[in-house]
Amino acid sequence: MENKRKIGPFLKDKNSTSKMMFHLFVALLPIILFSFYKNGYLPYQEGKATLIGLFYPLLFIFIPTITSFLTELLWMRFLLHKKGKNLKISLIHSFSIFPGLFLGLILPINTPISILIFGAIFATIIGKMIYGGFGNNIFNPALIGRLFIISTYALTITNNGGYLNPSELDAITTATPLSNVSLQEGIGTYKTLVSPYGNLWNFFFGTIPGAVGETSALFCLLGFIYLVFKKVIKPMIPITYIGTVFFITFLIGSFNDLGIWYPLFQILSGGLFFGACFMATDPVTSPTTPIGQALYGLFLGILTVIFRYLTPYPEGVLTSILTMNLFVYIIDRIGSKARFHKEKAILPFILAIFLIFYTGCSIGTSYQKETTTKDTNFEIVSKEGSGNTVTYVVTQKGYVGKIKAQIKIENGTVISYEVLEQNESFFGKVEDANYINRLLQNQLALKDVDTVSGATITSTALKKLFINTLEDYKENGGTLSGNIVVPPTTTTNFEILEKEKTEESTIYIVSQKGFSGKIKLQIVFQNDAITSIDVLEVKDSYFYKIEDNDYLNTLLFNQNTLEELDTITGATVSSKALKNALMETIKDYEEESYEE
Amino acid sequence: MSKGIKLLGHKELTKNKKLGVCNKPKYVYIPLISQNDTNITILVKKGDYVYKGSHIGKRKGNLRIPIISSVSGTVIDFVTKTYHNGDQVKCVQIENDFKEKYEDNRMTRKERVKLSKDEFINLLHDNAVIGMGGAGFPTYIKYNTNEKIKTLLVNAVECEPFITADYALIKEHPEELLESMDMIMEINHIENGIIAIKKTNTELIEILNNYIGTYLHIKIVEVPNLYPMGWERALIKEVLKEEYNKLPIEKGIVVNNISTIYAIYEALKFNRPLTERIVTFTGFGLNEPQNVLVKIGMEAKEVLSSLKIKEKDALFVAGGPMMGECIPDDNLVISSDLNCILILPFEKKALTLECLRCGKCVQVCPAKLSPVLIKDNIHNIERLKELEINRCIECGLCSYICPSKILVREFVRKAKENVRKEENNGK
Repeated sequence: MENKRKIGPFLKDKNSTSKMMFHLFVALLPIILFSFYKNGYLPYQEGKATLIGLFYPLLFIFIPTITSFLTELLWMRFLLHKKGKNLKISLIHSFSIFPGLFLGLILPINTPISILIFGAIFATIIGKMIYGGFGNNIFNPALIGRLFIISTYALTITNNGGYLNPSELDAITTATPLSNVSLQEGIGTYKTLVSPYGNLWNFFFGTIPGAVGETSALFCLLGFIYLVFKKVIKPMIPITYIGTVFFITFLIGSFNDLGIWYPLFQILSGGLFFGACFMATDPVTSPTTPIGQALYGLFLGILTVIFRYLTPYPEGVLTSILTMNLFVYIIDRIGSKARFHKEKAILPFILAIFLIFYTGCSIGTSYQKETTTKDTNFEIVSKEGSGNTVTYVVTQKGYVGKIKAQIKIENGTVISYEVLEQNESFFGKVEDANYINRLLQNQLALKDVDTVSGATITSTALKKLFINTLEDYKENGGTLSGNIVVPPTTTTNFEILEKEKTEESTIYIVSQKGFSGKIKLQIVFQNDAITSIDVLEVKDSYFYKIEDNDYLNTLLFNQNTLEELDTITGATVSSKALKNALMETIKDYEEESYEE
Repeated sequence: MSKGIKLLGHKELTKNKKLGVCNKPKYVYIPLISQNDTNITILVKKGDYVYKGSHIGKRKGNLRIPIISSVSGTVIDFVTKTYHNGDQVKCVQIENDFKEKYEDNRMTRKERVKLSKDEFINLLHDNAVIGMGGAGFPTYIKYNTNEKIKTLLVNAVECEPFITADYALIKEHPEELLESMDMIMEINHIENGIIAIKKTNTELIEILNNYIGTYLHIKIVEVPNLYPMGWERALIKEVLKEEYNKLPIEKGIVVNNISTIYAIYEALKFNRPLTERIVTFTGFGLNEPQNVLVKIGMEAKEVLSSLKIKEKDALFVAGGPMMGECIPDDNLVISSDLNCILILPFEKKALTLECLRCGKCVQVCPAKLSPVLIKDNIHNIERLKELEINRCIECGLCSYICPSKILVREFVRKAKENVRKEENNGK
């Protein structure tokens, strides 16, 4: 009976590292396929991509994957052969495809292939091999590759189209939802943040712009559930991570009276689900102790929020993961001590919770402050709406006392600005400078209007009055919500002056209020269509712009789709007035013919 | 924190088989070792005649315990044999005269009612009763305390896969076991007696329930089928919801293995020394796995020859599959703290991969250690102390669970050794 000495235990769990990596790949498959659907199939179907474009996303993911593999093969062949290890076995057990595969999934689709290859080589060598290969790296290799690419070639990628795939390029003007956030003044609204991309379901399914593989929260979630079920990843990290981001943004949102959509928008954007489920849980670079994992998730959440709100880089997820990779050693040290002495974990947790509330409250109130500082000296005395016009009576603190003014806004444009009461000492100077007219004329760029020297405070107050009123109008008045009762649209601005019916045609003479005074028009219908529009009378100062743009003919050509027609910049009110007059006339004409 | 893991038991190999008897060896080899301590004073020399139960050696120090002969016969030599921890140990070779003779002045029977606590302790000492679950701790020391013992917890969990020695014992002697507990409790004025059994062992629970009616102060507590539920600390936490610092006696608890309880029964009732025990011979490498009542000091191969080993290069393990040691030769002698001999088909060593730091070993460790970090810091003594490495019970779950098939426990053992060396240097 010859026995070789073996070391126990003699039972082994059936799970193995190779199986775990296989499960990881399986979990990524739906994400890869979705990326193919979103970035390849959809544009192809819409005719915006060629056959190559159809398979481009798959190519985009495959190329760095194979690059990673080859890089590692060469590295092992020429640098590690001395160790006498079997090249094939070491290569298989090094799981070399993953840095490249992940890199392909976390980059914008318009990253040039050459850069992509370069990034994959960088990720494999600098992110993984120089530490000693699989299991020894401190940072997530794919994130190292991405950091390298983004820090060196960000501009190239942006110029190449950035995150938008061919079908998005036409439909969406701003890049990703989060870069849209940073373009906002203030915290943004549902309309400006979510609506441009559809609704929150689009965010959940992933039909929003973003890196190749990270837009779909749904498929990340499915992958996460699969991996937890197969006992591959540490479920604590994604749960605490996403939970923390949700909670902080919920705080921020509630400070600014935003609904539950706001934190949902935040967690569904910027590849948080992908980062949390696949990148933060990378076993090699995340903590091993349960308490460490919870702390890791909490701090990842805090960092992500900080990156998103307080730095010019809106997509904070991947950067936070890379940052937290640095602290894994310390976190694990705390985590391992806390296994025996729970009290050792109290301080870090208190710190984390403090930071969560602190970031939530301070970021939340920072937006609030902006609005409150605006508001302290500004008051709305009354607000009345009729038709398309909202009349504000507002006050603003001036140099001596309050300045009271009446501001009329029609369809978003201020049409009159009258000062009702004021005690300003230097109001004369303001009048001399024709300041109020200047404000009216430059209402699209109010910030650039210089104040009147010698009456700085008064003129600033007048300007603020203007800005604040407009802002209130944008927030509430545009839809006339709030406590304003909208009278049924009695079109006081529109009037039919004459109507003459002959056998062949109907001739309308109508008047519509324009920028300054009424515009009188003659509109002729023949065979149920407008055949001519003539302006009989007009006082608007910018009406020449209408003529320059041949707007009347545009109206005539588009008479069936008037509502979608754009107005003329520089003569918004006048063009709107014309459009409205035409629409009302058509309405009247149709009603009448219907009655017949 | 993990309570443990459900392992595939493979207990069906032996648990319903008839108990074999193999207690008539020509020679016995009594290893001169107690709890890995080989510092034993030898009390016999070549040519001496020894009786069954004669003290042939004595362990020194605080944990003194006699080493006894399991047969009557002549000491013929001192030879080296393999002990169940894999070490080569000096043994006293005794030629059996098959007379099973006790020393003349030994009383064959003692009235239990007259036994005082001190007499009880002496009885356990003289009859070399030690913990038979694997640790081999001298049993009398557990009772030799000034603390009030409130609870006697009998460990019949047998959580390690394959082993059914305790299972067979309970099936064989349920009444004796309960009587023994009753006697121990009476002598030591213990109020509660608890037998902890895996809830999956319904057959045993039924058997014991048939007899337990007359022992009102003894109850059966079912514990989950997890490994290592039979670990003293885990068991006390599970059954009594108590945690202690160093020894269970701090909380007035004495834990005995159920086999030890039977040894105590023999000592109390008949003044018989611990010379025989049930050992599970099992594993997929055996054609006829079964439990066998063997003489202590027998060579394992003598028993195995009748059980038919399937293949030549089978793995030979002393102990269970988790905590047992692979024995490289066939010279293993059976000692009183060996409960299982496992024969497994030889498997090629699984390829070890790099640690991917999945943290499963941390998750699974019942002693709340962080094995992956211990492995990282194997030479960093300060950090190892911080990781409280001495809490390791070497249950082997970390090696079991490791997806990269790393022998994690060996790293922890090495680290423990490094710390011990460092401490000794310090002194």
